Amino acid sequence: MELDELKSLLNHKLSTDHTGRSEKDIAALLTKKTVSVTDKLKRSLWIEIACCLLVIVIFGYWGLFGANHSFRIYFSVFAVLSIGFLGIIIYLLRRTTRLSATTLPVKHNLQTIVNIIEEFTKRYFQFTMALIPVCFIFAFVLGYNDPEHIPSADRFAKSYFSALWQVVVFAIAYMLLLTVGLYYFTKWYLKKLYSRYVAQLKECIAELSGE
Amino acid sequence: MPSEKEFISLLNQHQRIIYKVCNLYMDLHSDREDLFQEITLQAWKAYGSFRGDAKFSTWLYRVALNTAITFFRKEKKKPETYLSDSLPEQADVIDNREEEQVKAMYAAIGDLSKIDKAIVMLYLEDYSYQEIGEMMGITANNVAVKMSRIKTKLKEETQKQLATN
Repeated sequence: MELDELKSLLNHKLSTDHTGRSEKDIAALLTKKTVSVTDKLKRSLWIEIACCLLVIVIFGYWGLFGANHSFRIYFSVFAVLSIGFLGIIIYLLRRTTRLSATTLPVKHNLQTIVNIIEEFTKRYFQFTMALIPVCFIFAFVLGYNDPEHIPSADRFAKSYFSALWQVVVFAIAYMLLLTVGLYYFTKWYLKKLYSRYVAQLKECIAELSGE
Repeated sequence: MPSEKEFISLLNQHQRIIYKVCNLYMDLHSDREDLFQEITLQAWKAYGSFRGDAKFSTWLYRVALNTAITFFRKEKKKPETYLSDSLPEQADVIDNREEEQVKAMYAAIGDLSKIDKAIVMLYLEDYSYQEIGEMMGITANNVAVKMSRIKTKLKEETQKQLATN
């Protein structure tokens, strides 16, 4: 049996399995929340924007008015990096919003979604990884070279370590563990969020590209 | 600023398009309801881009297919009955043999990939290869090649289904 022979019957079957909705029902649907990937992505981007703004304000304040020289540099660098990341996030949010408001051909639409998600995950990963040297190495170097003593750091060192080598071993182990942990956690988190979805979209794009 | 009233009226007239897409892409009733809602919302968001130079039905097909193809649910157990089993009986229109064939064909379409389902749906709506290509973002030639492959696949699958019944 050929598809063409059953065309009208199939068409009829496909379009009759419903009770129909009134204009009132449709109007009610317009007030509901969407669950599409672009909206999920937009929600993620808005959360990132809120976090960035919070970091910029708090760390910016400490960067300007912090008690120690090393604290001021440390938090200022953190705030500047966050400003850069905020710019990228706003750009991606605008692209996502534009995409929701247009009706592209299927293949183009899929490619745009994949590009936006990949750009987001790439930049998120880069930003998180860029924070590692800032958080650990930069913080240690600055703290070590700070002309003023940091009382809380001194207290911590004196109560737990009796020799300099112990401090050095602790610092290296601490940096290594957190770097490896953060690297794998970020990878896992981004993979959990979007990787399966992106893989499925790529399959569709490949199918459309092939003959 | 697009008029909500005008949009609702247009959507109401063309809602069978959304139902067709939902029926084709989702097995479970609850998933179909969710997809219907999602397509309606996406259409409303994109309504500003509808300029009236194309037919509303064509525009709505594009929105509905884009939404359905990118709409992923967590894997659920497939219902034991096929979609066609839940469709209304039309004994006066279709005799038993024909109905079996339609059910078998319907089940075969249900097993196609998301992209192939979209192409079949537009083909059933009598869109030309050129128009299908424009909606899918591929060439008319590519549509023709795919359609030929899909037809062969559907024929084989339908025969298999009928033979096992």
